[in-house]
Amino acid sequence: MRRVGYWLESLEHIGALITRPLRWFVLIMVLTTVAVVVLRYALETGAIFLQESVMYLHGLFFMLALAFGIAQDTHVRVDILYNRMSSKRRNQVNLIGHCVFLLPMAALIFLASLPYVSASWRVLEGSAEVGGIPAVFLLKSLLPVTALLLWLQGLASSAALVRQLIDTDT
Amino acid sequence: MLELIPLLLFIVTFGMLLTGYPVAITLAGVALIFAGVGIVTGTFNANDLGFVPGRLFGVITNQTLIAVPLFVFMGLLLEKTKIAESLLSNLSDLLGHFRGGLAIIVVLVGMLMAASTGIVGATVVTMGMMSLPIMLQRNYDPSLATGTIAATGTLGQIIPPSIALVLLGDVLSNAYQQAQLNMGIFAPKSVSVGDLFAGALLPGLLLVLLYLLYLVVRSFTTPDAMPQRPKTTTISLRSTLGALLPPLALMVVVLGSIIAGYATPTEAAGVGAMGALLLALIYRKLDVETLRETCTASMSTTAMVFFILIGASIFSLVFRGFGGDEIVQELFTNMPGGVWGALAIVMLVIFLLGFILDFIEITFVVVPIVGPVLMAMGVDPVWLGVLIAVNLQTSFLTPPFGFALFYLRGVAPDSVATAAIYKGVIPFIALQLVLLALLLLWPALATWLPSVLYG
Repeated sequence: MRRVGYWLESLEHIGALITRPLRWFVLIMVLTTVAVVVLRYALETGAIFLQESVMYLHGLFFMLALAFGIAQDTHVRVDILYNRMSSKRRNQVNLIGHCVFLLPMAALIFLASLPYVSASWRVLEGSAEVGGIPAVFLLKSLLPVTALLLWLQGLASSAALVRQLIDTDT
Repeated sequence: MLELIPLLLFIVTFGMLLTGYPVAITLAGVALIFAGVGIVTGTFNANDLGFVPGRLFGVITNQTLIAVPLFVFMGLLLEKTKIAESLLSNLSDLLGHFRGGLAIIVVLVGMLMAASTGIVGATVVTMGMMSLPIMLQRNYDPSLATGTIAATGTLGQIIPPSIALVLLGDVLSNAYQQAQLNMGIFAPKSVSVGDLFAGALLPGLLLVLLYLLYLVVRSFTTPDAMPQRPKTTTISLRSTLGALLPPLALMVVVLGSIIAGYATPTEAAGVGAMGALLLALIYRKLDVETLRETCTASMSTTAMVFFILIGASIFSLVFRGFGGDEIVQELFTNMPGGVWGALAIVMLVIFLLGFILDFIEITFVVVPIVGPVLMAMGVDPVWLGVLIAVNLQTSFLTPPFGFALFYLRGVAPDSVATAAIYKGVIPFIALQLVLLALLLLWPALATWLPSVLYG
């Protein structure tokens, strides 16, 4: 049982692995946006491809970081009561929340996005703009991927919380 | 009975939020449980959940919201490279020997910082850590010092180009489109983030002016509360200007280009972030470690903002699926006092929600529900946006639940009594209520500048 728990907890490393390169995306977004501005105002040429690449970077940047935010506990809480709880009570809140809210939410986004994404894959949906990036089907695939990451993170965090709760009881 | 379900959804959600589980997931989670029960009992159409992926993809591809990570990066870089901090210390060297000079500087620097980050907690904590020790060390009255810092920290709601106004502008724009479509107008007028920036500029500056006037008056009526510092060192005007002008120019360029309509918020945010990078390079405060920290913090903050947006859009989808928007509409149209009655109720609810939720959550959860109804009743979108911003700012400052007060308490030394903080913010709350009253009396205060600029 414990071994399964540790294995589940180790799923958390996926998030850390992804975000190590991911955090630099914001810097690339800044540089690319400046390039778009220079092209548009100085050289008076549009740069749809560059402009859309900022959108792709942006989408990857926050979607793939959602699960990591749970691991790092950087998502906002209403902390009026939470701050006064014992660490055991907090673990209980988080464990119940993961099971009742997080896992169903991730499952719903995953299941609901499958038909949406597969319709896009079937026609290899491209950009609505001329000269845009022809990979909207890949961008849409972010939805099930994010949902899967959230689900795995939910399992990993829950396993860690169960272990901590058992350890504090014994 | 059925019409009570949306109300119940609201109540249960806010009850669950109080447990302290992350807001974004709670919003979506509670809504989905309601939807599940609704599907089983035949009161909710399961097909409505099929709109979830489309909504979420809309969040990813929303062009205006791309400005958020760029603005976050700019603000965090200015904070982590301590450019804002050196601005404060330079200015206090220059003006510190005037009575009340230090407090006035804190307001001015806080205004610039608030505009660049727009996140209440971040501004209050940074300003508190930066300026409270200096003010206490110079024997400022703790109550006056903490009041000034807390009030200044909340300016981020109203001084453009803050993230709060970008988010609010985007939500208002969608609500405005929907209001007009509901009224059968199929060539709807639009309202942009630029409109809201322009609308918030005069009220924001007026509020800063009111703060400064108050401080000047206090410097005459209670001079002991803000002691002068003897002029010891002579500081060259040139070195001060050298420290002051670049960050100021950055703000003016970013804000000016958006309001003048030259650049989209996203472009201006990108250029602003580039400007912050260059500033950090010029001041030799940029190294790989700082940059890595800034990027990591930008990632966490951006993910935090967008997760709430995702949770809130699932929540409002379910709320609508249960017919919630029709109930709100019915409630408002039957409200005694018509538009004003409806507006008063919305403002009261937002004020109370401000005790437990931050700007972002309220913008994403409440505005999409009440915005279209109010606008269909004839409320101007820019005016509504500015009212909401000022209202929330007041809420964040009001004891005992105000957000800004918690954050400031967290960084203030124990020698400063909590009661002193409460006492210090009261005059500033009064000033904000004055501004709110002025806005209610003269909506043109908010709507004049956008109408002149954009016709």
